[in-house]
Amino acid sequence: MKKKRNQIKGILLTLNLLLLGLTACGKEPDAASNLITDTDSAKRVVNMFTPMEKANPNAENSARTAHDLTVMAAEEALGLQVEYRTYTAENYQEKTYDEVLVDRARNNMDDIYLMNPDTLMLLNGEGHLADLSSLESAKNLRDVVKVANTVNGKLIGIPQEVVAYGLFVNKDMFDQYQLGLPNTPEEFLECCRVFKENGIETPVGANRWWLETFVLAQGYAELYNGGNTEADIAALNNGETKMSEYMRPGFLFLKELMDKGYIDAEKALVSEAIEAEGPDFLAGKTPIVIAYWGAAISETAYGKPDFNMQVIGFPSSMGQMPVVSLTGYGISAEAEHLEDAMAILDFIVSDEMLQLYTDNNQVISPSRNVEVDCIDALKPLNDKINEGLYVLGSNANMKVEQWGNICLVVRQLLGGATVDECMAEFDRIQAEVLGQ
Amino acid sequence: MFFLYNLTAWQGVRYSHGHCRQFCNPPAFRGIYYMEHKSSLFQKVFLLTLGPKDAIVNIYCNGCCISKVNVVMARKQRQNKSGRGSTLIVSIILTFIIFGAVVYFLTGQVSSQMSQSAIDNLSESLGLLRGTIQTVLQKEAEFQKLIAQELALLEEPEAFVCSYHTNETMIKMSIIPVGENSGISNTGEVFSAEELDFSFGKEIDGLPLSGSYINDMGTWAYTISCPVIKNGIQTATLYIEYIYDSLEEALPPKFYNNNATLYVMDARSERFVLKPKGIGERAAGHLNLQDFYNANRILEPDVQAMVSESIQEGDNVMFYHDVRKRESLIYMWSVNDGALYLIGYVPIDSIQQEGKAVNQHIFIVVMVMLAAFLICCMLYFLNERQKSHIRKEQEQERELHNQQLTQALQAAQIASSSKTMFLSNMSHDIRTPMNAILGFTTLLAREADNPARVREYTKKITASGQHLLGLINDVLDVSKIESGKAVLTLGEFTLDSMISSIDAIIRPMAKGKHQKFDVTVSGIKHERLIGDETRMNQILINLLSNSVKYTPEGGHIQLRILGLEPRSSQFEHLKIEVEDDGYGMTPEYLKVIFDAFTRAENSTTNKVQGTGLGMAITKNIVEMMGGTIHVSSQVDEGTLFTVELELRIPDETADGKFWKEKGIRRILAVDDEPYILDNIRTLMKATGVITDISSDGEDALRQIRQAGEKGYTYDLILMDWNMPGMDGIETAGQIREYAGERPCILFLTACDWEGIKEKAEGIGVDGFLSKPFFVSALKEKLLELCSSVDDEKVPAETISDNFLKGRHFLVAEDNEINSEILLELLGGEGASCTVTENGREAVDVFAAAEPGTYDAILMDVQMPVMNGYDATREIRASDHSDAASIPIIAMTANAFAEDVKNALDAGMNDHIAKPIDIEIIKKILGNYLKQYRKKEQT
Repeated sequence: MKKKRNQIKGILLTLNLLLLGLTACGKEPDAASNLITDTDSAKRVVNMFTPMEKANPNAENSARTAHDLTVMAAEEALGLQVEYRTYTAENYQEKTYDEVLVDRARNNMDDIYLMNPDTLMLLNGEGHLADLSSLESAKNLRDVVKVANTVNGKLIGIPQEVVAYGLFVNKDMFDQYQLGLPNTPEEFLECCRVFKENGIETPVGANRWWLETFVLAQGYAELYNGGNTEADIAALNNGETKMSEYMRPGFLFLKELMDKGYIDAEKALVSEAIEAEGPDFLAGKTPIVIAYWGAAISETAYGKPDFNMQVIGFPSSMGQMPVVSLTGYGISAEAEHLEDAMAILDFIVSDEMLQLYTDNNQVISPSRNVEVDCIDALKPLNDKINEGLYVLGSNANMKVEQWGNICLVVRQLLGGATVDECMAEFDRIQAEVLGQ
Repeated sequence: MFFLYNLTAWQGVRYSHGHCRQFCNPPAFRGIYYMEHKSSLFQKVFLLTLGPKDAIVNIYCNGCCISKVNVVMARKQRQNKSGRGSTLIVSIILTFIIFGAVVYFLTGQVSSQMSQSAIDNLSESLGLLRGTIQTVLQKEAEFQKLIAQELALLEEPEAFVCSYHTNETMIKMSIIPVGENSGISNTGEVFSAEELDFSFGKEIDGLPLSGSYINDMGTWAYTISCPVIKNGIQTATLYIEYIYDSLEEALPPKFYNNNATLYVMDARSERFVLKPKGIGERAAGHLNLQDFYNANRILEPDVQAMVSESIQEGDNVMFYHDVRKRESLIYMWSVNDGALYLIGYVPIDSIQQEGKAVNQHIFIVVMVMLAAFLICCMLYFLNERQKSHIRKEQEQERELHNQQLTQALQAAQIASSSKTMFLSNMSHDIRTPMNAILGFTTLLAREADNPARVREYTKKITASGQHLLGLINDVLDVSKIESGKAVLTLGEFTLDSMISSIDAIIRPMAKGKHQKFDVTVSGIKHERLIGDETRMNQILINLLSNSVKYTPEGGHIQLRILGLEPRSSQFEHLKIEVEDDGYGMTPEYLKVIFDAFTRAENSTTNKVQGTGLGMAITKNIVEMMGGTIHVSSQVDEGTLFTVELELRIPDETADGKFWKEKGIRRILAVDDEPYILDNIRTLMKATGVITDISSDGEDALRQIRQAGEKGYTYDLILMDWNMPGMDGIETAGQIREYAGERPCILFLTACDWEGIKEKAEGIGVDGFLSKPFFVSALKEKLLELCSSVDDEKVPAETISDNFLKGRHFLVAEDNEINSEILLELLGGEGASCTVTENGREAVDVFAAAEPGTYDAILMDVQMPVMNGYDATREIRASDHSDAASIPIIAMTANAFAEDVKNALDAGMNDHIAKPIDIEIIKKILGNYLKQYRKKEQT
C-alpha cells in the first residue's frame, strides 16, 4: 500500500515537472505577424496647466494625491490621458504662476487651467474662457460658488475645493501670554503688542501673497454679512461707492502692523507663500500666520505642528471672518481638445469625485451634496462658514477684480507706498475698469 | 560462511571461515553459543570464551578451538555503518553548498552582466537622445545661419524679419543692427538683447546660446544669436527664440515603458525646462534639480557635490540610488557640451527585466533541480530505510527463530533430562511395588500352609498393587490430558458436597501426620454450581495431598474458598487457596513445578513417594476449566497455591417452599468469627429466611429474649460450639431453659463432634453441622432430622454382607485371567457367572436366556467382535423382558471420566475400573441389586 502511494506521488511529481517544462517553453511567434503594436497613437490627450508645489523630501502632499486620484479616475473612465504642464516660480523675481498662466492661455497653449480668481476674471474678460454652465456637475454647486464664478450668466470656473483663508495661530503661545484669540482688529493689535513686548520679533508671519485677506475681511465684512450685499456691489459697480472706502481700514491696519514691526514688510515682499514664515511658525517663533484651509492638513505646510494650532477668521468689526476664495478650473475657449477637456472637468467635479477629493483632503467641497469631516484645528473656521459668516475673496459680479488687485496694491504698501497712495491706486483701477 | 549467535546476550557476528584448527584445551566456559552453517543444516552447540579484555571470542567445537572473532572489530563495523550515514548526509550538504555557491556565483555573474548590459543600453539610449537633441539644436543653428546669410543679402533685413510668421519651433525672430542697442522683432515689438543672458558661454555650431527663460507664451525658451555678415563685416545680429517644447517630440513617449523619468535641465539655472509627455504632477520633483533631489530623496551632500561638479565640467553622471524605496539608476546626460542635461531615473528592475526574468528562471530551474534532487534523496532514503527495516525484521525474525530454537533445545534438553530422570524414577517406583508383589508372591507360595502369613503377604501384595495402580492412573491421566483427549464432565454440584468429599479424604491424612487442617469459606454467594466435580476434587486433592506430603508432622494446612467479585452474574468467581507451612520450594523448582515428571527432592523430602505428575495434571485441569493457578513458596516457610475459577451458576430454583414447609422463617447464627456470620447471612439471603447474627452466647440469649418480647421466635439457632466466654454448650442450655424445645439448635463446628456429642445431646442440641456453613448442608441436616423421626417409625432395610450369594451374573470378558479372577472373587461370595468372550456372544446369551436368569451383566468394554458399548446398546434395544431393567455394569480398564460417561451413554448403569476390587463390586452391585430387586418385587 505504502509502495503504491509512493509510486503515485512519483508520477504526480513527474507530471508537474513536465507541465512546468511545457509552460516554460512557451509559444513560438508567427514569422508573418507584426511584432509592434502602437496602441498609444490613438490615445486622446488633454493638457492641464496647474501650479506645482516644490517637493519636500519628508512629506507627502495629500492635496496633490487627492487631485491625482480624481484625474486618474477620469482618465480611466473616459479613456483619456491628462498631461500636466506646470510652472512654479523659484523666487519673486521670476514670473509668477499667474503671469505664465495668462501668457499660456493667451497663446492657447493648454486646455484646462487651474486659476486664481483674478486670473479667471482677467482671462474671461479677454474672452479666453469657455462657459461651463452646461456641465452636469455644475448643477450641484453651492450658491456661493456659483455667485463667485458666474459673470453675466457664464460660469467661468469650477473649483474642487472651497478655499477658505484664515489665521493660523499657535494657541499654546496665546495661552502662555494669557491672550484670547482676537476677534477685532484692535484685539489683534493688542495681541501683537503683547507678543512683541515679550520678545516675539515678528508676531505675524507674512509673504507677498496673502496679506490682502486682512483687507478683504475688514473691508467687506459688512458688505457680505450686512444684508444689503447686492445693493452694495451695485454701488461699487456703478461707481457710486469708491472701492477705496472699503479698502482703507484694512490698509490702515496693515500699515500699523508694518509700522509697529508686527510684520516684516521687507521680507514679506520678496517671500513666497509659506516658504518664509512657515518654518518660524512651526518652530514656535511666530504665533500667527495666514494660510488656506488645506495648509492645516498638508504635510508640506502646517499639517503636523508640535503645538495646539487653531485656524480662526480674520479680525473684523463683525468678529472673526474667514475669507473664502475660489481657485477654480477654467477651460480655454479655443482649447485644442475642448470637448475632452469639458468631459474631464465634468468628471473631476462630479459629486462622486468631489467626495473622494474631500475625503482625502478634508476640505470644504463646492458641491452642496458633499460634507466635510474637518480636523479639530479647522473647526473654528468651519463653524463660521457654516454660520454663513465669511467674506468672498473674489466675486465675478464685481466689475473690479478684487483678489489680484488688492494683492498688488498691498505689495505697493509693503514696498513703501502710503495708505493714501494705495487708496488712490484703487480709485484709479476702479475708474479704469468702470470707464471701460 | 558461518553466522554466529549468542544464545543469551551477544547479538551476532558474521564469521568468515569455520574450519577446525589446532586442538587446544577449552578455557573457562563462558556461555553456550549456537552456530549455523549457511551451506548445510549443520547445527551444533559450541563453547565460546572471551579473550583478553573480551575483545577476542574463542570458538570451540568439541574441545577444538576453531577460530577467534574480534568483537571490537565487529562493534567498529556497526559504528562504521552509522558513520557512513552521517558521512552521506555531510556529503549531501556539501554538495548542496557547492551547488548553491556555483548557482549563486553564476546568477551573480549573469546579474552583473545583465546589469552592465542594461547600463550600456541605457547609456546608448541617452546618447541617442542627446544626439537627437543636439541634432535639432544643430539644425536650428544651421538654419539660423542660412537666414543670417539671406538677411546679409537683403537691403532691408528688418522688413524680412517683420514678415516672418511664428511657427512651433522658432517663436520669435529679432534683429539688432550693429552699433544699436535695440532692434525689431517679427511681432513688431522693439527688441533688446539686454534681457538675454549669453554669459554662460555655451554655443551651438559656433553660435552663442542664451540661458533658458519663460517667454511670452509662458513656456521655457532659449535664444540663439547669429551675426549677419555682409562682405566679411558684421552688419547686424539675428536673434531667434526657440522653445523647448519643440524638443518634446524628440524624446521617447515611453522611456523604459514609462518607468523612467526624463527631463531636460538648463545646466546653468538647474531649472527643468522640459518634461516629456506622461510625466506630470503625479511624479513630483520636476521644478529644478533641488526639487528633483527632494522628491527622490537624493539628499547626500557628497552625491549632490559630485553631481554639481560633473555638471560644471559638462560630464555625464550616472549612479545608483533608491527612489521611493526602489533601487534606481540616476542619470544626468550632458547635451551640447553641458548647456543642457537630460536628467531622470529608472528603477533597476525596469532596465533589468530580462535579467530578472533570467534569474527567476534560473531560480526556478535550480529549485526544480533541488526539489528533484531532494525527492531522489528522499526516495533513496525511504528505499534504504525500507530495506533496513526489512533487514532488521529479518534479523529479528532470525534472532527470534534462534531464540525459539534455543528454547526448544533447552526444553528438549530439560525434557530429555527429566524423562531420563522420570524413567529412572518410574523404574524405581514400579520396580519397588513389583518387587514387593513378586517377593511376597514367592513367599506366599512357600508359606501357603500358614494362613496367618498368607493373609499378611496378601495384604502387603494388595497394598503394593494399589500403589502401582495409583502410579499407572496418574501416568495415564497426564498422558490423556496432554494428548488433548480429556474432557470435562459438567454437572451440578454443591460446594458442600465437594468440601465434604475433600475433607473426608484429607482430614484423615492430616490427622495421621498430626497436622491441623482448616477449611474456611467466605464471600460465596452461590454454593450450587455447574462444573466437573470429579476434576474439582482432583485439583483439591492433588493440592491438599501435596501439602500433607510436604508438610512435616504438626504442621498446618488451610483450604480457603473465597468468593470474588463476579465478572458476570452468571458465574461465581472462586478463589481457592491451599496454604501450608511445610518444606516449601526453591525458586528454581517453582519454575518447573507444573511441568510433568518433576518432583521436588531434597534431603528432607526424598522419602516422599510420587510420580511427579500431580501438579502437571492439576494445572492442566485448571486450564481446561478456564482458570489460573499460581504458586508462591519459600523454603522452610511454606507454600501457597492459588486457583481462580469461574463456575457457572445453575438456574436457581426457589427453595423458599422448603423452608416454609419446615416452618423456618427466622434463624439466629451465633459465632465469634464475623466472616462466618457474614457467610451465613450471605448464603441464607437466597432462602428468604431472616437471618440474625450474634457474636457470643450472651448476646444470643439477649436477642432471643428480645425476640420473645417483640412477639416472634427463632425457628433455628446455628451456634458455634467453641466460643470465648459462654461456650456453645452453656448457651444452648440456657436457650433451652428460656425457650424450651421450640427452636432447633444446631452446633456449627470445625472439630470432630464425637467428643461432645453426648454432652450436647444431653442439653438438647438437635444436631451438628460441619464448618464451613452451607445451606445445602443445613437442608440435608434438617431433612436428616426429619427422616430420623420417620426412620424410627420404619425399621431400616439392611443389606446383608452375603447378598451376592445365589446371584447369577452374565460376564462379558475377553481376557481369560480377568474372567477367572472375577469368577473366583464372585464365587467366593457365593455367586455364579456365565462368561462370554465378546459382546456379540454376551448379547446372544442374554437374548437366549429366560427372563430373570441374570441378576446383572458385568461388561468389559474393549472386546473383539463387539465391544461393550455396542453390546449394551443392543441388549437395551432388544425385546427381552429384562432388557431395560437389568443392571449392566461396565468393568473395564478404561478408567477415565469420559469412559464413565461413554459407558453411561451406552446404557450401562455404572462403571467399575479395573483392577477389580471386590469391595467396590459389592458396593455398586449392592445398590443396583437392591433397586432391581425392589422393581422386580413391584
